[in-house]
Amino acid sequence: MKTPLLEIEDLHARVCDKEIIKGFNLTINEGEIHALMGPNGAGKSTLSNILCGKDGYEVTSGSVRFKGKNLLSMSPEERAREGVFLTMQYPVEIPGVPTATFLKHSVNAIRKHHNLPELDTMEFIKMVREEGRKLGVDADMIKRPLNVGFSGGEKKRLEILQMSILKPAFAILDEADSGLDIDALKTVSEGVNALRDGSRSMLVITHYQRLLNYVIPDFVHVYADGKIVRSGDKTLALELEEKGYAQFVKEK
Amino acid sequence: MAGLLQKTPLMGKDSPWLSGIRKRGWDSFVKQGIPTAKTEAWKYTKPRDLAAEDFVVSKISMSEASKIDLPFDCYYIRFENGWFCPSQSNLPQGVEVVPLIEVALLKPHLQKYFCSLAQVDGNPFVALNQAYLQEGVFIKIENNINLQKPLAIINHTTTESANIFFNLRNIIVVDKDSSATIVEYHTYSGEAKSRYLANIVNEIYLASGAELNHYKVQSEAFKANHISFSVASLKKDSSYNSFCLQKGANIGRNETLVKMHEEGAKTEVNSAYLMNGWATLDTTTNIEHLAPCTSSHQLIKGVIGGEAKGVFQGKIHIAPHAIKTEGNQLHKALLLTDTAEVDVKPELEIFADDVKCSHGATSGELDAEQLFYMRSRGIGLSEARQILIDAYLDEVITKISNEKIKDWIKLFAQEKSK
Repeated sequence: MKTPLLEIEDLHARVCDKEIIKGFNLTINEGEIHALMGPNGAGKSTLSNILCGKDGYEVTSGSVRFKGKNLLSMSPEERAREGVFLTMQYPVEIPGVPTATFLKHSVNAIRKHHNLPELDTMEFIKMVREEGRKLGVDADMIKRPLNVGFSGGEKKRLEILQMSILKPAFAILDEADSGLDIDALKTVSEGVNALRDGSRSMLVITHYQRLLNYVIPDFVHVYADGKIVRSGDKTLALELEEKGYAQFVKEK
Repeated sequence: MAGLLQKTPLMGKDSPWLSGIRKRGWDSFVKQGIPTAKTEAWKYTKPRDLAAEDFVVSKISMSEASKIDLPFDCYYIRFENGWFCPSQSNLPQGVEVVPLIEVALLKPHLQKYFCSLAQVDGNPFVALNQAYLQEGVFIKIENNINLQKPLAIINHTTTESANIFFNLRNIIVVDKDSSATIVEYHTYSGEAKSRYLANIVNEIYLASGAELNHYKVQSEAFKANHISFSVASLKKDSSYNSFCLQKGANIGRNETLVKMHEEGAKTEVNSAYLMNGWATLDTTTNIEHLAPCTSSHQLIKGVIGGEAKGVFQGKIHIAPHAIKTEGNQLHKALLLTDTAEVDVKPELEIFADDVKCSHGATSGELDAEQLFYMRSRGIGLSEARQILIDAYLDEVITKISNEKIKDWIKLFAQEKSK
């Protein structure tokens, strides 16, 4: 019997009076990797922002449950502490805050929530070094202000590093492959795959099949005009690559 | 009723010179009065309540000075409610610290340093300070002395039921090719709602090649008034670097006037202020480039919450012959609430060609994207806000060259922003 981790039921949401999500249904069980593919403007980022609690989105109906709890009533930090993680498409730059300082605050906020002792500086540095080495994130990078002056690839690797450190129960990878060259794509994918442990779940949001060659999904969903219009296994991604999204997008 | 002008027993009434100085201060204050909204230099900061306040001139305290120690190795000069406490540290040779009144009465050759930089005209609180001239220290650092340890000037106020009022004046002379670091710290204990008034004047003389680092923390009780005026006169190739953190008082004003009289003089005047409630914190600077090849740099950053008001008035004056000078000024304010206010008045008066000058002012809020990013990684809203505020102030606190003093000041700022 599979345990559902995330249950989205008939979700409707809008931004500034414009309905973006129009009846979205999806259940992700523990250990499953789902890919969500769709054309520009389908509402992919809106969905990930709503799941993480960003301001500016109005859920008009439907529900989202995470580990059986009402996710939508939680603050962004509560969701993160419960185990929801979003790798952002455009990670924010924060001048004046060293990356390591930020990471330490984050790790300890989550540890505290789970009644684990906070890591001291030595323990923290050791852990970041170990995880960083696997992803090609060197010690110099984490001394620099958060994301400031980082290349696109460095930013994405730092997102994956955070995921490796925080070990969330559920991760949303929002266009984690955009702006990556082939080598960086491999490194990032290896980082993601290393976190596949049979109980952690992921929602991989992407335009292209490319990332899915490395991170093989259990399910693929086509997302167009605010809802899932078709679901299948990994072969669906290949079909999309060949035929494009045109068949799913309404004639305007 | 006791207002700001009271007949009070002062030492040295027999000295015609000292009496003359006090009378000029008294007369000038009577003429000027408490600044109103019409007083240009006090356009945004309104100490009008002071006129009506029932002040009591602070009495000498018989108890020992509060032993406030700083977390770094330094020499101590202590004041209690504005009264000098003679139990200071042993000073190295070539450094003299003498009570101001002693110098005024017994060392006529040093009288030239008194009240010659801080002018009463246009500055009623300087006039008031001069009317009560008595408490303070005269610090002199002889030629070619490099004072390694900072010299801390601590004024501790024990608040009482009555609202006390005191005037403090320090005269600091750094002779040729000498260098020193001064840490000025104003703090209190007792009733936090006390409305006392601290009126401070510093007159600073830097001889050629001298260097003074002047760091200050204003951490008064939250309903108190702290009015401070520092003026520095710079000779050839001397440098005056100041940093002030204002984080207390209901009305706090830190005014700095730097007069660069000779070539090669340079100054850095940096400030940070943090406030909430209904406070008004005022940073006023006046930088005078009176000789060629002089330079000034100013960075002032404020964090304003509640219904508080930040004020920055900054003037850079470049005299007609002061060519090849450089003057930069930047004020930035972070507004934490919709009711927070900032008033900014930058002024450039440039009468010379071939100069490099710039000024700028910005104000903004905490960045919503940055806050969301941190929260999405489990960091709570208030912690995330504090991380951003600390980072915001870090840009200016980092300019303090002494690492230990920098860390000490950083802690103050972090504590306040919680």
